[in-house]
Amino acid sequence: MTALLAVEHLSKHFGGLTAAKDVSFELQPGEITGILGPNGAGKTTLFNLLTGFISADGGVVEFEGHSLVGLGPHRIVNLGLARTFQLCRPFLGMTVLENVTVACLAPRVREERGTELRARRILDQVGLSAKTEILVDVLPYGDLRRLEIARALATKPKLLLLDEPFAGLGVGEIEPLLALIRKLHAEEGLTILIIEHKLRELMQLVTRVIAMDFGEIIAVGAPREIVRDPRVVEAYIGHSESVHGVA
Amino acid sequence: MNIPNKARIGGLAALAFFALVPLVTQSDYFIGVLTVCFIYGIWATSWDFMSGLTGRENFGHALFIGAGAYTAAFLGSRFNVNPWWGLPTGAFAAVVCGVIVGVPTLRLKGPYFALATFAAAAIAQRSTRIFWEYTGGEEGIPGLSPLIGSHLAYYYFCLGALVVTTIVLLVLARSSWGILLRAIRGDEAACQAAGINIAFYKIVSLVISAAFAGVGGVLYADYQLAVTPDVFSVVLSITIMIMVYVGGMGTIYGPVGGAILLALLPEMLRAFGEYRLWVYSLVLIFILFFAPGGLIAPICRRIVGVRR
Amino acid sequence: MHTLLNILVYGAVTSAIYAMLAVGFTLIFGVARVLNLAHGAFYGLGAYAAYVLTIDLHWPIFPAAVAAVLFVGAFGVVMERVLVRPLRHSALAVLMITLAVSLLFEQAMFILFGSQSRNVPSFVSYTLTYAGLDISGQRLLTLAVGIVVLIVLYAIIDGTRLGSAILAISQDREAAQYMGIPINRMYSVVMGLSAAVAAVAGVLTAPFLTVQPTMGLLPMIKAFSIVIVGGLGSIPGSILAALLLGYSETIVAYSPWPAATEIVSLLAVLLTLILRPAGLLGKRAAF
Repeated sequence: MTALLAVEHLSKHFGGLTAAKDVSFELQPGEITGILGPNGAGKTTLFNLLTGFISADGGVVEFEGHSLVGLGPHRIVNLGLARTFQLCRPFLGMTVLENVTVACLAPRVREERGTELRARRILDQVGLSAKTEILVDVLPYGDLRRLEIARALATKPKLLLLDEPFAGLGVGEIEPLLALIRKLHAEEGLTILIIEHKLRELMQLVTRVIAMDFGEIIAVGAPREIVRDPRVVEAYIGHSESVHGVA
Repeated sequence: MNIPNKARIGGLAALAFFALVPLVTQSDYFIGVLTVCFIYGIWATSWDFMSGLTGRENFGHALFIGAGAYTAAFLGSRFNVNPWWGLPTGAFAAVVCGVIVGVPTLRLKGPYFALATFAAAAIAQRSTRIFWEYTGGEEGIPGLSPLIGSHLAYYYFCLGALVVTTIVLLVLARSSWGILLRAIRGDEAACQAAGINIAFYKIVSLVISAAFAGVGGVLYADYQLAVTPDVFSVVLSITIMIMVYVGGMGTIYGPVGGAILLALLPEMLRAFGEYRLWVYSLVLIFILFFAPGGLIAPICRRIVGVRR
Repeated sequence: MHTLLNILVYGAVTSAIYAMLAVGFTLIFGVARVLNLAHGAFYGLGAYAAYVLTIDLHWPIFPAAVAAVLFVGAFGVVMERVLVRPLRHSALAVLMITLAVSLLFEQAMFILFGSQSRNVPSFVSYTLTYAGLDISGQRLLTLAVGIVVLIVLYAIIDGTRLGSAILAISQDREAAQYMGIPINRMYSVVMGLSAAVAAVAGVLTAPFLTVQPTMGLLPMIKAFSIVIVGGLGSIPGSILAALLLGYSETIVAYSPWPAATEIVSLLAVLLTLILRPAGLLGKRAAF
């Protein structure tokens, strides 16, 4: 099976700081893969590199056979790779519906007519149909997260990059979001790459985990193995006893 | 397009009002003043379309105005071309300026775009002095032949131009263009993540803004029958911004009201004689303090009963 | 050789004046993120204050100069407190209110003094003659005082608690607040300082540059340009840019194309914004 996304020897330096070092991995279509790592490990940088927000110093990124290196963010989105941001970035001063409409106007998905209908359908999918006319400025954080996902979804991505989707959510908001991601994965046939610190939620979603530290991949494997892997544990905690109560 | 009925009626009423003014007043002078007000309206609403919607404040709108004005003047005086040709060529010259300035500067963040556009207009103004053989230097280019001989007919022509400009820009602002421009104002990175080519939309909206401003410049030149370097001045750029602010940024129709009001204000303050501009400045300060969302648009919204 | 010396000296004088104008402007921007369009008015007010004190009230020149500077400094503080602070939520509103102030200043000077240039006597009436060059003492004094002012400013920022507070606020306003720095008061103080330095330039140059109501506009634009080229918020950047632009303009003025002098700074601005928006020594290109 040809990989949906193939990354080889991706690297990025900021002055003396190595943000990404020789990162290589593949994503198969339909997989949900997790990225794990302590703060500063280079996870969001990796996302920024993949989505064109930062330019790489070296390496190859191939998505469905297209090379993504050097392309601007909006071009990459229009090839079918969408992302959400760690801190929600809604378009303030506009309604929920307008926020999603923006993404529906991307060249990849833009239609002559029916934009509004499509936008409403997507909001329905993520569970925000009751709030379409509300200004995003007053939305609770959980809804902002759904909006982020709705916007990414609107561009009909093949690959969805989720950056800490469970961050900042209250207890009551986590389960619904988990269910939503699972539902979208099943309905839309998305391939998902997800950065997340909340191990319990992550383990329930992913089939494979990539662990990073200091910009490098230190381990790849099934969730249960990764959390016991001594290198991963050491990256997080600093000694080589396995982490209890997680797997 | 969902414009409330009250608003439609209000717009038509305003139009009717200005259409009937010349029948009431015989003063040629006053008609002239209003004609200039209409031209300011075109400048203000064109500025609002780009800068009001995207939040990227263009501090050098006068560049486009001057480009249109000088092009028309140049054609008219040097090549004795029919002044009507000034309109499309002036607009084109302004568009070219828009592209030249927009492409390198629209990627700049925050105050830098403002400063770059400011510098561009200032350079244009200084250049009129340097290339004085072509531009007439400080004196400018006098003795242009008018588009339309009759002052009254020109009044209606400019009013018509203002109406067309406002309607076109309003339609664009209410369409998906408007949504995209406002999203760019909201968060450029998120826009890109939504697949939108923000550079394209920023530049095109600047170009559209420039085109209308350039046409306004041509109309102004044909009204004054002369152009001087003042048409590039920073004072003009900032006056227009103040008009938009008073009218209500991002509303497209508000700045028209703001322009007419503030262009009429110095006339209305004639009674103050020497202190005219002092009072003008004070009025400005007053408005800034007590009407932070502008004056015209909030009042219109209140009358129509719309929330936003 | 003669020309070279002329350029050397006049370039230095011009740079000193520019530096004084730019440093105040960049200071208030770095600290309060305010593009103060009334900065030119501070400059002009200093000159007019010196005029009134020396010509109308017959004060001796040095006390008059000091009083003028203090007056403008106080004016800056009051302006910040009364007009700018309530509007700080909107950068555009602050811009326009400072613009309104500069318009008011211009009009007020027109009304009070008319549009003709006024003359302020030189502080030092001697002329230095060296290597065939005549340099007015006033210009040399401007250069000297300019350097002193910059050194004093540097000393304040580097050595005093006030200076540390200023640096803290310009780096991270909220963190500074959490540290207990009274930022509102600091804004007023910095505005006053900025105004005072601009006034020093105004007072010193009044004897040899024209004193008329619109005198603030060009220096404003110059200060703008220098600050952008040097880096918004960076004092060393402003000084460096002032030197660069001061000398470039002087060289162009002596070149066969003197009319281009005015474009030098504007071109420098455009180039900076396109090639290196953060400016020569600016740290970030965005806020």
